[in-house]
Amino acid sequence: MKKSVFWKLLAVVMVAGFVLAACGGNVPATTAPSSGGNAPTAAPSGGNSPTAAPSSGGAAPKVTSSGFVCPEPNPKVNVTSTQLNLFVWTEYIPTDIQECFQLVYGVTVNRDEYSSNEEMYAKLSAGATSYDIVQPTNNFVSLMIHNNMIQKLDKSKLSIMGNFDPSYLGLPYDPNNDYTVPYEAGTDAIVYNADKIKTPPTSWSDLWKNGCLSKNMIMLDGAHDIIGAVLAGLGYDVNTKDPQQLDQAKAVLLKLAPCIKSYDSDSPKTSLIAGDVDLGIIWTGDAFLAQQEVPSIKYVYPTEGAILWQDNYAIPTNAPHLDAAYAWLNYSMQANMFWMMLRDFPYTNPNKAALDYAKGNQMAVTDSNGNQTTLGAIYDAYINSPITNTPPDAIKAGHWLEDLGDASPLYDKIWTEVKGK
Amino acid sequence: MNPFRRSPFVITATMLVYAFLYLPIIVLVLYSFNASRTNIVFTGFITKYSDTVLADGSNVIQSPCGPFHWFCELSKNTDVISAAKNTLTIAFIATLISTVVGTMAALALQRYDFKLKPFSQLSLYIPIVIPEIVMGIGILTLFSQLFGFLNNALNLNGDARLSLGLGTVIVSHIAFMIPFVTLVVQARLQGFEKAYEEAAMDLGANEWITFQRVTFPMILPGVLSGALLAFTLSLDDFVITFFTNGPGSTTLPIYVYGLLRRIITPQVNALSTVWIAIVFLAVLAIQWVQNREQK
Amino acid sequence: MLKRLRENKSAQGTLLVVPTLIFMVGLLIIPLLLTLVISFGQRSSDGNVIYSFSFANYIRLIGYSTDCASGAKICFDPLYAQIMWRSLALGFNTTALVIILAYPLAYFIARAHPKRRNTYLFLVLIPLWTNFVIRVYAWMMLLRQEGVINNILEFFAGLLHIPFTPLNMLYTPGAVLVGMVYEFLPFMILPIYTSLEKIDNSLYEAAADLGANSIRTLLRITLPLSMPGIVAGTILVFIPVMGTFIVSDILGGRQVVLVGNLIQRQFLDARDPTFGSAASLVLMVLTLIVTYFYTRKFGFGEEIVAA
Repeated sequence: MKKSVFWKLLAVVMVAGFVLAACGGNVPATTAPSSGGNAPTAAPSGGNSPTAAPSSGGAAPKVTSSGFVCPEPNPKVNVTSTQLNLFVWTEYIPTDIQECFQLVYGVTVNRDEYSSNEEMYAKLSAGATSYDIVQPTNNFVSLMIHNNMIQKLDKSKLSIMGNFDPSYLGLPYDPNNDYTVPYEAGTDAIVYNADKIKTPPTSWSDLWKNGCLSKNMIMLDGAHDIIGAVLAGLGYDVNTKDPQQLDQAKAVLLKLAPCIKSYDSDSPKTSLIAGDVDLGIIWTGDAFLAQQEVPSIKYVYPTEGAILWQDNYAIPTNAPHLDAAYAWLNYSMQANMFWMMLRDFPYTNPNKAALDYAKGNQMAVTDSNGNQTTLGAIYDAYINSPITNTPPDAIKAGHWLEDLGDASPLYDKIWTEVKGK
Repeated sequence: MNPFRRSPFVITATMLVYAFLYLPIIVLVLYSFNASRTNIVFTGFITKYSDTVLADGSNVIQSPCGPFHWFCELSKNTDVISAAKNTLTIAFIATLISTVVGTMAALALQRYDFKLKPFSQLSLYIPIVIPEIVMGIGILTLFSQLFGFLNNALNLNGDARLSLGLGTVIVSHIAFMIPFVTLVVQARLQGFEKAYEEAAMDLGANEWITFQRVTFPMILPGVLSGALLAFTLSLDDFVITFFTNGPGSTTLPIYVYGLLRRIITPQVNALSTVWIAIVFLAVLAIQWVQNREQK
Repeated sequence: MLKRLRENKSAQGTLLVVPTLIFMVGLLIIPLLLTLVISFGQRSSDGNVIYSFSFANYIRLIGYSTDCASGAKICFDPLYAQIMWRSLALGFNTTALVIILAYPLAYFIARAHPKRRNTYLFLVLIPLWTNFVIRVYAWMMLLRQEGVINNILEFFAGLLHIPFTPLNMLYTPGAVLVGMVYEFLPFMILPIYTSLEKIDNSLYEAAADLGANSIRTLLRITLPLSMPGIVAGTILVFIPVMGTFIVSDILGGRQVVLVGNLIQRQFLDARDPTFGSAASLVLMVLTLIVTYFYTRKFGFGEEIVAA
């Protein structure tokens, strides 16, 4: 190739690089309200959002790229850090909340994601990372406390604690909430498409009793979740370390393996909606959204008991931006912000203040299907659905996962073998 | 004349393979105009340009940007823009450094004899023949142990703490790009006529001037070849970046992989189309320049 | 001192190569050594490394297992050997398929009019320059239940009035194979093209003059002379395929477990870095062995320099 060609090519690429760099500097979402974006929005005309009125006199309201007017933080704290590093689950934080935080506090939010607790734990324990916020599920919290990976929270900085329903606080894995703040809760249970499955399952064992109940199954990509479900179906403890019981569970899974089309903890609802799979074990939020898209999709709590879980916010030891972290916790879970979870990621919501805010609220909201509705209607759908509002007897029959300690490789070995079939 | 040249078998096979190569690309580009938001079935082009956006269930029927709706969404997506910035930054810096270092190494290996020569040659072959995941894991382990130790020993806190990020990605990219650059430049040096250099020296030039005026211009195509190869490798790299990146250093491949894990809207396709378009234009530009040069 | 530097050729050479050595030793050799050290360690109950000297991880990889279903003390557990074998098989299959597909195309370009060759080459390179992950995603769109291929087949089935159930293509080992072949096809086309291009036209003419037909020309002249290209291409294809985990993740629905997936899982999900390190090194050694024997038989393929 000729020399001059290369210089020209390099020049083109460098110019492109500079152009992009210039563009990048201008894009932050300080845009005008009527951007016309089609993402779910609150009506930019201000609607009925009582707390949106800026209390700090004169400051222009901050608006996100989807047209949502950011409420003021209450209380507003002083943040000197310029960055905040989140390490969170995929599909778990509404974009508007993240944008509002950036706009209001002027802090750049970097978000890295994981799709399993094990992945989060491994990256954190490798030690070379600098995250400020993580979202461990209950069964990993005690492990992380034990290994000094998350730090004690300064409750004097957490005014948000008053927002939560007490039944989600003080749980056995963190009795005084010294380390964690509740985020969302939910269950792992059976999901199926009533149009394709003629005999609806009611228990875990229905999935395998007479061979595969369906040839197109989907499972969460979580060793403990699925093996635990099978153990419950066999009548054993979901946290057992007994090799014989585990072998039985393995045998069941090996029988099911040829029928399992996909292991997905990132977005299980996608294949359900697409029709690639029609039966499986997934989470609350995904099942709820899938059902909204395809009404024949049903979620049922098995008689042997579903798997219960609760995700929490925690701050890793050595987090570099503590002030930003506390600001995030207080702001993102304010009632007039956290209601977005009902719209975007409908899991069981422990934030009582947000639920009260949403109840009967006439604010216009576009739901995940693009339909115009009100926040109050979304709240009603949430409260009335047994998926998101787990009935008390399902909670009673449910099982909590716990840390497996040195039995962890055993579960993983089973999982590797099952997935390889 | 070789009968194979017009052999129908060869021609059909060629066309089929080209079709195979381009089918996914065409589908990608086509679907970036898909009206369906869940992007599973192609439900038609977004047709109307309008001020309001109407979403009919999961279909986008109208949009101010018309058929280019997803491209508009893409341009508002700050994550993508910052990922693109990161990718280019990393690629430029890493290419620059690895080209310089690699060329130096190629010169050393080709021209000189020294004790460390066999060791150097061998260590340069290793990254080429080991799977990237082995290297990625190794580097991650190294950084974890190293940073852990340094952070404790020097008592670093807050932003001063060493951690994975843009720096570690750049350094890792340089490490795996150097062998490729060296290989390419070495091959170029092999066919090099020392006579020119000797002539220059005879005429009174010292080594540095000789290098500047004679050697370097003659190996420049090789060096640029190596640089281009390195640049491409860095742009496209996934595995090494996957293991060495941290908050704020997401690159485009990592970002697309992250997108694939969630609901996939046609925005991903729009991103792909933009990328393909840029590559296409760059290639056309090169072709055009080459044609002009040949006249 | 500078004058002494000028005289001492050996020192000059060493100096030039020092930056490279810093990178190679620091970011390649030392990490590999670290991996080796960790692979001899044991997993603590929290998933951290206990430094010791034990072959337990390697033994586990070969198949010697101490937790047996039948209650015996030791038994043979082929799980990991199967995974290694699966990766090897995928490596061989992909390479073979890629060679078969690449050869006619490379041949066509090599024998085309010199002015057009660059265009044809660029047409091959363009898919390569688009992002690797994006290309995998494209295959997802093609292969899924309601994807493009099924749609097309359904359309034709409708025309011919044949009942049609959508083909189940995604999330199968076949999908992984197709994805891998697609990803690495250009890497084989280029080296083969380079070596084919070097074949002197007069050789073909001589063969024709001597009465050889096309098949004989192919087998006796073209193929042997293009071997360096095939070898170089094989190295560029086989090694990455052995270490892959993305394609099997995305197109295989996380079910096709290859060594790459195994290693990735050990570091992320299973929290067993010692086992992962051992698997990593075994993968490397396996790849090196295959490459070594291959290049011993077929030559080194210095034509890797195809640009």
